[in-house]
Amino acid sequence: MPFARTTDRTGTVFSWLCGGALAVNLVLAIGLVGLIGWHGLGYFWQASVASFELRDGSALIGEIHTVEEVPEDSAQWAGEQRMRVKIGNRDLYRLDFRWVNESEIASIEYPDDLVVLERLEWGNFYGRMRELRRDGEVIASGPQVWTRFGEVYEEKAAEREAVEALERGPIGDVNYAIEGLRLQRRRLEMAGDSTAGRLADVDQRMAAATARYEALAEELFAMREELKDTTVVMEAANGQTREIVVGEVVRSLRPNAMGTLASLRLYGSRLWEFVSDAPRESNTEGGLFPAIFGTVMMVFLMSFAVAPFGVLAALYLREYATEGPMVRAVRIGVNNLAGVPSIVFGVFGLGFFVYSIGGTIDQLFYAEALPTPTFGTGGILWASLTLSLLTVPVVIVAAEEGLAAVPRIVREGSLALGATKFETIWRVVLPAAAPGILTGMILAMARAAGEVAPLMIVGMVKLAPTLPLDHHFPYVHLERKFMHLGFHVYDVGFQSPNVEAAQPLVFATALLLVGVVIAMNLVAIVVRNRVRRAYSTSVL
Amino acid sequence: MRRQVLFAGLLVAMTAGLCAAEQTKVDPALPAYEKVGGVSGSLNSIGSDTLNNLMTLWAEGFQKVYPNIRTQIEGKGSSTAPPALIAATAQIGPMSRAMKPTEVDEFERRFGYPPTQIKVAIDALAVYVNKDNPLQQLTIPEVDAIFSKTRRCGASQGLDTWGQAGLEGAWAERPMSLYGRNSASGTYGYFKEKALCKGDYRDTVKEQPGSASVVQGVAEDLRGIGYSGIGYKTSGVRALSLAAKPGGDYVDTDPDSVLSGKYPLARFLYLYINKEPNRPLDPLVREFVRFVLSAEGQRVVLKDGYLPLAQAVAQRERAKLE
Repeated sequence: MPFARTTDRTGTVFSWLCGGALAVNLVLAIGLVGLIGWHGLGYFWQASVASFELRDGSALIGEIHTVEEVPEDSAQWAGEQRMRVKIGNRDLYRLDFRWVNESEIASIEYPDDLVVLERLEWGNFYGRMRELRRDGEVIASGPQVWTRFGEVYEEKAAEREAVEALERGPIGDVNYAIEGLRLQRRRLEMAGDSTAGRLADVDQRMAAATARYEALAEELFAMREELKDTTVVMEAANGQTREIVVGEVVRSLRPNAMGTLASLRLYGSRLWEFVSDAPRESNTEGGLFPAIFGTVMMVFLMSFAVAPFGVLAALYLREYATEGPMVRAVRIGVNNLAGVPSIVFGVFGLGFFVYSIGGTIDQLFYAEALPTPTFGTGGILWASLTLSLLTVPVVIVAAEEGLAAVPRIVREGSLALGATKFETIWRVVLPAAAPGILTGMILAMARAAGEVAPLMIVGMVKLAPTLPLDHHFPYVHLERKFMHLGFHVYDVGFQSPNVEAAQPLVFATALLLVGVVIAMNLVAIVVRNRVRRAYSTSVL
Repeated sequence: MRRQVLFAGLLVAMTAGLCAAEQTKVDPALPAYEKVGGVSGSLNSIGSDTLNNLMTLWAEGFQKVYPNIRTQIEGKGSSTAPPALIAATAQIGPMSRAMKPTEVDEFERRFGYPPTQIKVAIDALAVYVNKDNPLQQLTIPEVDAIFSKTRRCGASQGLDTWGQAGLEGAWAERPMSLYGRNSASGTYGYFKEKALCKGDYRDTVKEQPGSASVVQGVAEDLRGIGYSGIGYKTSGVRALSLAAKPGGDYVDTDPDSVLSGKYPLARFLYLYINKEPNRPLDPLVREFVRFVLSAEGQRVVLKDGYLPLAQAVAQRERAKLE
């Protein structure tokens, strides 16, 4: 390089160049995470709620979200400020947001008695509490409503939890049992097993389970009815009132009367809800637990599939195969595989895993459930296997590099001491190459966790009714469909009808996905460092 | 249940005359859903992505009534519904367009009778501009001249700048920036058929992967114009009034105009089911469709931003189940 020879023999410029490249990378990474973090973490913060008097005599209640200058072109309001106000009350106004121009506003106040109700349906309600009713009779009105509401809310929240526990627990169990019995009955019928005894036995158990279900359902409906008996009458900005069932309120707050500590506790509680709860309102509210679970489980399954596969292939290529055009061709092929668009893997997974293998499994083992497919449709197993195909080149390349880095002298030493080739590989080469292999796994996991496109056709869904892991035998249900953080970002960002309100959620989900990837990588890195330490003391 | 209908009525009465945002309600004549016995099993739905949210919400509501059923909903596009119904991997095929004759034929070849089409909601496609754009209205030939390179609806020349659409001042020189859906979408096909008179889109239309991202794009882009379902409206955009032909009446996207059929870009959303003539339908499917056509089901339609059916239509659709 003439550049190095003539102008910069000491390498000062070059080292600056390297440092600069690193700096650009760092700025990009920090900027991206910072942007996602800024938007995403703001999602959980409760802003003050303002009460607007407008010049035309109407009123508004809401949170001020953004303030901007009206562009020159908007003839009427040009040059002045305007703000986007979250007015909520979707059941009254249809839209969650509204723009208000500065000159329209007569006054803005932040009274303490403004209440935000987070509801199970229809989003937030902004307004003032007027009355509390039980079975249609007023039990509190005026200023006492707020204090009384707190007590009633506690009671109703406990009731709602009981309802949910009943739905998830006993009712879920009995339904699972009924479905199992139905399939068992069908299997007996199909086998032509008219042994009346067995069929009658299944029928009897079915009847018992159905009766149990009926009883539970009755209990459930009674509990739900009770949940509905108390309502709070809310008054929105312009005096319209709305009666809201207390049992359907997730949280009630008076943001303007909250201190810093209360605000922080609210923030924490929302954050916790986000990572631990199930989603609501077609994924635009509530938490993301099933999606976190689905993402992590899928990546783990993928790792179990890809690790042995990739390492064995690399071992063969590096240790057993004779170097030659064939091996070189295979190696080039593997490297190119990493460049195939991921959706192609998705289509392959759909055709090969889902339709061919899954369809055959269904015919052989789950014929009683047909035409409803069991394995013959997308599921977490097929998604993991598809992704393991996608990431196997990464693992092969990394493992090969790891194996190549083991000094020849070590192998020869082992062989000279009388170890066979297999013993040498198993006891000496593989442990020494393990950190390199694990590095490959880390890269593969990060790649897999962020991949969305191929999963859309092999088992990822917007809303999965059940987790792929539960307390029903056999505990792991590999045929089930699953939710995924990456798909959640895509779905809420591009398909959500209420995109304005859901946008911060997209950032929060993206941040969560980054967090999950970092957490998984940290685990892998800790494992790698342990392996490395163990190797450096015991073998060499 | 009856209380809820009353509730909806009360709500409407209370909010009458409220703010500029459009206000609509479910037809008070719609019957409340009544629970029946003997409904169990698992319900699979495969089809439209436009209806994905709606199906999810319906399924949630239906499961409230029957906690013992299981539902699985896949929304990968309207075209995935007919094959799923034919292969019987789904009992319900939601579609944002009517089945094509070839799809119906294929179904008939397999079963010997056509699939049953149920109208479940009304969607209006709106043409959106940025909230700061002063334009109020367009005719369909003008819309065609903006989005299409073939101009089959009769415009003599294409519209490239906002000045050509009638705006003055700084706007006159500004080029239009077009947003639309990708070709896999039913919305793309519907708009092509109705607003472009089956012509071709311009190459400059920025194709978006979802209806919400069209609206987002127009909200961020001062010069933007795009089409998307009325349910996706946000505070950052404004829906234009449209006239079917030059000189015709400009019609707003308010629910009354859409329901009366005056708005030129309104369509039904459908569920397709496999019903053998003269044989009773599987109770699970029957009850699900009845739930969808009840007051509760249509309230969900409203919540998702679409327009509910009137009792007369719903009644006719319910009759198809018998």
